[in-house]
Formats: sequence, structure tokens, C-alpha cells
Amino acid sequence: MKSDLNYPHPMNQAVTASPLVLPGAGPLAPTASDSAGIFGAHRGPLTVSDNFEVLDDPVEQQDFTTVTHADGHAQAESVLMVQGMYCAACADTVECALQGLPGVQSAQVHAATRRLTVRWDPALTRMSHLAQVVGATGYRLLPMAQALSVSERLRETRQALWRLFVAGFCSMQVMMYAWPAYVAQPGEMSADIVQLLRWASWVLSLPVVFFASGPFFRSAWLDLKRGRVGMDTPVSVGILVTFLVSSAATFDPSGPWGDEVWFDSLTMFVFFLLGGRYLEFKARDRTAGALDSLMNRLPQTCDQQTADGSFRTVSVRRLQVGDTVRVLAGQAFAGDGVVQSESATVDEALLTGESHPVLRRRGESVVAGSYNLGGPVLMTVERLGRETRFAQIVALMEKASTEKPRLAVLADRIAAPFLVLVLLAAALAGWYWWQIDHTKALSVAVAVLIVTCPCALSLATPAAMLSGAGALARRGILVRRLQAFETLAGINAVVFDKTGTLTHDRLVLFSVAVRTGSQAADALALAAALAAGSLHPVSRAIVQAAAEQGGEGVAPALAAVQELAGQGMQADRADGGWVKLGSAAFCGLNAGPAGDTQADSPCAHLVDERGWLATIRLQEGVRADAREAVEKLRELGVQTWLLSGDRLAAAKLVGAAVGVDHVIAGASPEQKLVEVVGLQASGLRLAMVGDGLNDGPVLARANTSFALGHAAPLAQAQSDYVIQGGRVMDVVHTLCLARDTMRIVRQNLIWAALYNAVAVPLALLGYMPPWLAGLGMAGSSLLVILNALRLAGKVPTAARDTEAPALATA
Amino acid sequence: MDILYLLVPLSIVLVFLVIGLFWWALQAGQFDNIEREGERIFEREDDRIVGRD
Repeated sequence: MKSDLNYPHPMNQAVTASPLVLPGAGPLAPTASDSAGIFGAHRGPLTVSDNFEVLDDPVEQQDFTTVTHADGHAQAESVLMVQGMYCAACADTVECALQGLPGVQSAQVHAATRRLTVRWDPALTRMSHLAQVVGATGYRLLPMAQALSVSERLRETRQALWRLFVAGFCSMQVMMYAWPAYVAQPGEMSADIVQLLRWASWVLSLPVVFFASGPFFRSAWLDLKRGRVGMDTPVSVGILVTFLVSSAATFDPSGPWGDEVWFDSLTMFVFFLLGGRYLEFKARDRTAGALDSLMNRLPQTCDQQTADGSFRTVSVRRLQVGDTVRVLAGQAFAGDGVVQSESATVDEALLTGESHPVLRRRGESVVAGSYNLGGPVLMTVERLGRETRFAQIVALMEKASTEKPRLAVLADRIAAPFLVLVLLAAALAGWYWWQIDHTKALSVAVAVLIVTCPCALSLATPAAMLSGAGALARRGILVRRLQAFETLAGINAVVFDKTGTLTHDRLVLFSVAVRTGSQAADALALAAALAAGSLHPVSRAIVQAAAEQGGEGVAPALAAVQELAGQGMQADRADGGWVKLGSAAFCGLNAGPAGDTQADSPCAHLVDERGWLATIRLQEGVRADAREAVEKLRELGVQTWLLSGDRLAAAKLVGAAVGVDHVIAGASPEQKLVEVVGLQASGLRLAMVGDGLNDGPVLARANTSFALGHAAPLAQAQSDYVIQGGRVMDVVHTLCLARDTMRIVRQNLIWAALYNAVAVPLALLGYMPPWLAGLGMAGSSLLVILNALRLAGKVPTAARDTEAPALATA
Repeated sequence: MDILYLLVPLSIVLVFLVIGLFWWALQAGQFDNIEREGERIFEREDDRIVGRD
């Protein structure tokens, strides 16, 4: 990739990545013969002949595999994309193929995103072997980074569009050939012309049945081989039966199958089904977009500084911790690191939801995946690959998205026996109508087969939850378990931890005590002048407070300001005196001079040559949006509690400032746990909001939990939701979205059930022709997906669109 | 009506021709990124040149 490429367009990545990559990437890089094979006119199950050796390359593996060591055993967890999947039943096929292999502990495939999470033992098996086993069942495993690359996605989209077009165009033409037969009076058309039109329809049905319907047959065949019944089995039976009977009628009109032809219905419902699938495919793409845009954020290459100070462009994988790299304007940081340049303006929107550019000075850290908005920046790499915050976030999201929510598991379990019932019902209906009316028997049976496909039922839950999770991710809220939506929607109390949750780590001014004859504002201005050069939290708070007061105070000019680390600041005044700012010991004071009631709140003393001048007291600042969040929660009918390990007075102070309903203070971690259990026993369903670091057990015990802020290492946080931006209001947004999500899940389930309850009897009674059945089925699936997509707009996004330019096409 | 014996087979040939044409357009990438082409107008001139590079 060219180093001056400001906004890495996916096309460019796809085209230019190959020369730089990566030893052994050969088999996975799309080659000419590969694409020809997939594009060949007839497409059975994928013929997978790759040897997958590249999957064993450790350098490649670190992109999609985490290895953990537990009691002497290495255990690897890999996330891969499954190519060739069409529906929920395919997920089972892949899972079954992997489970039971030696060395595989578990395999889980998520149908909606086609992601496979497999836990395996590197000592017992190899990734390439697993991929070959999956390949034998007709699916191809691709490492995530590769799977998300544009070329693969492009190929799948093109293939889907191609089938859709063939089916659509042929069905249009077949409809024209069928039209005369519908409108002509008996005897108006000669037998030869009727026959000619039937042959023409038959010819144009061939590509529809043998090419465009390929996905249905393929997945039905795979199910059949495993002795199961999948979503596509009834559809395939319907297509085949209709086609065979119509063909028989065309070539042998006096035969036992009668002389009715159904080519127009056949081609049309294949078109409707493919249309539904295509839209579902697009919608899934968009839903997974939040994750994908995260994944595509890291650059493939960067400018590494060499020993002589010049720069060369290298693959990110060649970087090592401690390297210095140059990041140009508009590029993303390749790793976590420390800024070496004077300052950098970075956009961390996708990671934290923070919409404004953030200024990072020399020595401050930047995170991988954030964008450099200013001029070129030098940085020293501290963490790379799996270690970066960015990778942790991606790992969290991958984990969450491969988990099947309880409701979805239930729906899948209902679907299998339901499908067997459908086949039986269709056969029975066909047999019954055969007694009454030969010509109608077939159309009834086919309509029953098609109309009852429980696709909508299976999609109802995961589609809504994934859409919700995607919407939250765009705001910087990560959902670790999709299941948590169900729990969160049902909570009636929120318990806040105090420190780091309702308050932030930054200190704010509480009071200034001055000796008689001095002005508080002047003392503050003097202290700020002293503290200006210091990075100590107290100094920063004083400078901030003075700035907020608008510079009312007058400070004398200072010279020779110096900082004694851990003690304070001192300086000479222009008029010959001196001043000191710092701890009581540093200032030569033995205790707080004024009656001190808040001994352990942080404070700084100011003394000059005449002795004590002022004491500046600070306190933890309450988060700006905490009060609003608590009020909103009350409006939503949710109780609010403050559970703090701090003293009662301090906790009450914060509690009153934000307006929580109840305050429990002075609780040790064990007592917090007891309190939470007690509240739950009294009938409350709790969401616990903590910083994710100290409250692990409490967060785990609560019905559902949030970790707020940057404190916790993400991968270790014990919470269901991780709020990156540190806004308390995000708790409220998440709660509202969870309720919306569950409402949409319920709507979807009710709709799917109602649709089947109405459509099946109609089909059985013969009121529904096959084409209408196809339209109904595709429409019901589509409705479920579209309903779920409404969630995407429910979360108020930060002021500016957080999607970076490069992600616009994701 | 005899002309139908010519026209109906011709229409089939025409359908296959159109399908072939669409296949060519698809392979040439004309449908790959429909939204993207619409957004291109919002880009600055120099970005676009880099993007085409």
C-alpha cells in the first residue's frame, strides 16, 4: 500500500496488500483459477482443495487465534469465517463436523454472521486439519482478516446478484410465454403454438432450476447426507417436484401427470426466495458492519524508522515493540504506543464513542485503530497485535456475536421437528387433493412446502440482538453477551458503584481557605501559576479550577519554579519572597490549620515567607451526566442505589449530588456482595454499574452489569456491557435499547408465528398458489430483518458521524 | 402466425444474450459498489485521484 494513501479505500487494500504480504499467504490469496472455479456455471457443494497449510503459520495465526495456557496445557481459540453458509442449518453441519474430532474442545458457528469459534488443543491437532475436515463437508474456513477482505465479500455479493438476476430475468420472460395461455379463449390458440410456448418456458426454466436454485439444493443435499431436515429441504422438494411434473406435462401431455405446467410459478418463487436471501445478505453485511469497520481499521503497513533516521514501509506484522513509526495525517495507528512528536490530534471515535478529536501530547499514549487527524506523528510502539486495546475490543465483539441467545437456541430446536411436520403435511395435503382434483394436488403440496419454511422464526431473535449490539458498538458500548439484552430489559434497579462510576478520577475544587486579609481568588491564581508546570493530579485540578474561575485572581510573577517530586512546588517571587505549594509536611505545617473535618480528602497548602497562606481542598468530581442519567432511570421506573465502600458522609454527598434513591456506604467488597444478594432477595432485578476492576464478584453476581470507563483491562472485565466513553448516560441508552430490542424480538416471534398460523391453513385449503407462497415466505423473513434493522437508528450517536471515511463502504 | 416459430426461439436467444451481457457487467465490477459511486461526488479531487491510483 502506498504510504501516502490517506483514506484506505477497501479496493486499494485488496489490490495492493498482496505484494507485501506475508510469507505463505499464497493459497488463501484469491487466484485466477480459484475465482473461475467458484464462478463456474454449475455449482454443487464447494469443492475445497486448499491444503490450508497457511493456517498453521504462527505469524498468520496470531490474527485469528488466541492461545491460553491453563495447568500446563495450551488451549487455542480461533475465530474464522465460514464461506458457503446460507442458513442456520449450515451452522449445525459445520459444528457437527468439528465436534468429536480429537483435540477439538468446542465449536460454535453463528449463522447470522457466519463466524466460527473453535477451541482446540495445539498439541493434538492442527488448524489446517480442522479446515480440511470442514472443507470435506462443503464449506471453506477463512481467517477473519482474509474473510473480511473485499475480494471475498465481492465474490459472494457478485454470486448472489448473478443468481438473482438470472432467476429474475428468466421468470419475466417465462411469464410472457405463460400470458397467452391465461388470456386465450379455448380454441383461440393452435396446439402447436401452445406447445411452442411450453418448450420456450421449459428452456428458460433450466438456468433457474439448475443454476439459480443451486444454494437451496446444495444445503438440502448436505442436510440429507447427514440425515437431517433443514430449512431448504421443503423448498428444494418443491422446486424439483414442480419442475419434473411440468417437464413431464410438456413432453408427454397425455401422461399420468396431466398437462398443467407451472414454469411461471416455479421461476417466480425462486426469484422471490433469492430476492429475500439477497436482501438478508445485504442486511447482515450492514449489521456486521460495526465489527467489520473495527477490523478494517488497522493499517496493513506503516512507516518504520530505521537506524539512520529514514523511514521505510513495512508490513505491520514485521513491527516489534519499541520500534518508532511515523503515522501520516489520515492514517490509523498500527499499535498502542507513546507519542514522540510534540502533540497529536487523534480521533478515537470508533473506540470510545468520543466524537471530538482528542489532543495527545508528547509522552501520552495513543491506541491502535484511532486516526491521526493532524500532521505526521512519530510514536514508539508499546503493544502490537493481540495485546492492543483495539484487538481486545474486537475479540470481545467476536465472542459476543458468536454466542447464540437462549431464545434463538429455542427457536432452532423448534424448527427441526417443525420441518418434518411440514413435509408430512405437504404429502398429506397432496394426497387428499389428488382424490378431489388431480391438477390442484401438486400446487397445494408445493405451496405448503414453501409457505411454511420457518426462516423468519429462526432469524427473529439473532437478527434483532445483533442489530442492537451493532448500534451500541457505534456508540462505544460493547456487548459481551447477547443474552444480556434479555436480562437487562427486565431489570428494575440500577446499583452504582461510587468511585470511578458516578464520579470520575479527575479531582475538582471543593473549597479554598485563606488567611485573613487575602483573597481566595488570588491564592488560587498563585497556586495555579505554581502548579502550571506539574503533571500531578492535584496540580492539574488546581490549574483547571483557576481557569474555570476565569482568571479573577491576580498572581505575582514567579521565577525559578521547581517541582520536588511527590512533595510540591516551590518558586521565588519577583519581589524577593518565596512560595511553596504542596503537602503539609513540605510546607512545614504540622496539621491542617483550620478545624479539619475531612482529613482524607486531598488538599494542597500554600505557604510563603510569612507562613500559611491558603489551603485548597479538592474532591472527586461527579460525572457531568450522572444526575441526568439518574433522573432518566427514575422516569423509566428503575430504582437507583449507590453502593460505596467510602464513608457514609462522602457517599451521601455524592448521592445527593446525583439524586439517587438509596445510599449504602462503608461496605467492604464482601459486604457489597451481601448487600447485592439481599437486594435481589427482596425482589429487585439488578444491573450493577462499576469500574470493572474492583467490583468483579459484585458485577458477576448482579443480574447484569456494566463496566464503565477505561480502568479495567477489557478482556478481564467481568461485565456484560463495557462502556468505553465513560458516560453514565450510556447506561440509560443501553437500557432503552435493550427494552426496544426485546420488544422487537417479541414482535418478530409473534409475527413469524402468526404468519405460519394464517398461511398454512390457507395453503392446505388450496387458496394459495406456489408463487404467492414464495412471496409470503420471502416477505416474512424480510419483514423480520427490516424490523430488526430499525434498532440501528435507536441509539443517539455522538454529535458527529463516527464512521471514518474509510469505513463508508463497509 | 407462422412468424412465431421464428420469434419465440429468437426471444430465447435474446434472453441468453442479455444474461451474458449482465454477466460481463458484473464481472467488470459495475455492480460491486453502487453506493460508493454515488458518494464519490462528495470527495475532494485529490482523494479521488489517489483512490483511482
